Amino acid sequence: MFSGVFDHLMLGFTVALSMQNLLYCFLGCFLGTVIGVLPGIGPVATIAMLLPITFNLPPIPALIMLAGIYYGASYGGSTTAILVNLPGESSSVVTCIDGYQMGRQGRAGPALAIAAMGSFFAGCVGTILIALFGPPLAELAFEFGAAEYFSMMVLGLVAAVVLASGSLIKAIGMIIVGLLGGIVGTDVNSGIARYSFGVSELSDGIGFVSVAMGMFGFGEIISNLGQTAETKSIEVSQVHTLMPTIDDIKTAIGPTVRGTLLGTIFGILPGSHTVIASFSSYTLEKKLAKDPSRFGKGAIEGVAGPESANNAAAQTSFIPLLTLGIPTGAVMALMVGAMTIQGIAPGPQVMTQKPDLFWGMIASMWIGNLMLVILNLPLIGMWVQFLKIPYRILFPSILLFIAIGAYSINNSEFDVYLAAFFGFFGYYAAKWGCEAAPMILGFVLGPLMEENLRRAMLISRGDPSVFFTRPISCGQLLVAFALLLMVVLPQFQKKREILAEADD
Amino acid sequence: MAFHNRDRKDFNAGVMYIGIGGFFAGFGLNYPMGTAVRMGPAYFPTVLGVILMVLGIILVFRSFGVTDAELPAKTHWRPLICILGACVLFGVLIGPAHAGMVAASMVMMLVGAFGGWDFRWKEQLIGMIVMPAVCVGIFYYGLGLPFQLFPWS
Repeated sequence: MFSGVFDHLMLGFTVALSMQNLLYCFLGCFLGTVIGVLPGIGPVATIAMLLPITFNLPPIPALIMLAGIYYGASYGGSTTAILVNLPGESSSVVTCIDGYQMGRQGRAGPALAIAAMGSFFAGCVGTILIALFGPPLAELAFEFGAAEYFSMMVLGLVAAVVLASGSLIKAIGMIIVGLLGGIVGTDVNSGIARYSFGVSELSDGIGFVSVAMGMFGFGEIISNLGQTAETKSIEVSQVHTLMPTIDDIKTAIGPTVRGTLLGTIFGILPGSHTVIASFSSYTLEKKLAKDPSRFGKGAIEGVAGPESANNAAAQTSFIPLLTLGIPTGAVMALMVGAMTIQGIAPGPQVMTQKPDLFWGMIASMWIGNLMLVILNLPLIGMWVQFLKIPYRILFPSILLFIAIGAYSINNSEFDVYLAAFFGFFGYYAAKWGCEAAPMILGFVLGPLMEENLRRAMLISRGDPSVFFTRPISCGQLLVAFALLLMVVLPQFQKKREILAEADD
Repeated sequence: MAFHNRDRKDFNAGVMYIGIGGFFAGFGLNYPMGTAVRMGPAYFPTVLGVILMVLGIILVFRSFGVTDAELPAKTHWRPLICILGACVLFGVLIGPAHAGMVAASMVMMLVGAFGGWDFRWKEQLIGMIVMPAVCVGIFYYGLGLPFQLFPWS
């Protein structure tokens, strides 16, 4: 098994190290970091915004670039957390606590360096884990029939909402809204165009890119502009030296390793838990510390642990996507969409039918992580300049980029209108406590779920007990049910509330 | 059960869910339902639509009698109208109006910029020249997408 892994990784590195792929990996990391550093744009919006750029590329460079954009964006998020106390995304909320304090004490440089090194370590471990566990998991997935796939998706969706913040009913509702939106268009079995009302563009279905751009891109801009000017003057911490002291490194090793472990576990679970991973790591480090009172006042453990944890989780969340074809969160849902546009059906067959793509992507993740360390630390001065761009200059440009991106999908203005519509919808939904992330997940899974449900019922001759008599499927549904039950427990409710506050 | 004592967020979300669910379940009647063995195109959306309506009804009922709920944030009309208006305008200009991408981009940035709280002519004018140029560079020359750049091209 291990020699096989070695061969596979070799194949991966030959693919990833080709000039073209290296270039796109670099481009992805760079663009991801640039947009991640810019205030007011989260990682989902970043990816949605940059997706159209990759459409015209061949599949391998396109996916390598997208993966680069993803972890570039999360890196950029932690940079802003440390330098200006603005978490670029919810998973770097924790980094703000001690990272910004270190910055105030003139130690922003070491904080950034430790964050980068921790993330790099986590990225290495994550990459190795994908290489080790990818193939056996894919083997398992080959055993899956339609019933198992359906149950797997139910589990994935349930896990995504249970462990997220906010009202459970509303989140499940948004998933269903997404599932329904996803099946608009021509039904593959009967050829009937559903809910398209004679609009020819709709009979091809609603493009998920327009939905993501509208809900995340426009939605974020409108609500950012709604929060009026007062908070917008930013004070950037000075970076004097990047080198952490030997002591810093010594104290950071333990948290990094523990954070990586925690992150890996949370990453594999369905539901995209980078936030939970970084929170748990912070709590754990605080508990283990000899002097917990240092936390919140610039403890380096509070940067090293959570940063490693969220990067490890980001990395390993690719495992369910690449092996089972199930996205665990909004970002992975966009990856599914990107793969589909490239003509690749995500799932276990990717590994056997397109080994160069699979292993190339994994190898490029490692290379991308290395690039980010090289890119982020010396270029920190440049990122600081980006941070200072005022939002009033930024947002019309983002707007334009989204509109052109939406237009370029089919060279049709219809997608631009769609993005506007979903921007409107997303804005009001968010106001009423209905989040966009579960909807995007449902949107991508809608057609897949329907297809597998139909197939499973056809095979079982209409007997719904098939979902419970097949052991794997039954197990998945039981876990999903148990997760739903957990929400009712009072202790668990408290945890959800804490997370909800952190999300705001 | 006074109508004013309700959780507005839950109430509105519930009404939205009832509406969307009803829409999908209702229009689903136009398509063949099929049987559980051979599901027709209406089966899945109808079932989901009904579930969504039930969730909406629960939300609406639960919202009554809640007195201490926080109100949904106010609608920020200016950014909402400017941003989405700019987007629709871009679509009209680049599509039916055949104004080309350059003009559509400039108009969009200008209209969108009015959605901000702090509009400055000089900055926005520079942005209106730089950004469309960058985008033409990336999408037209870099990615080779077949855009119409100008009304006359």
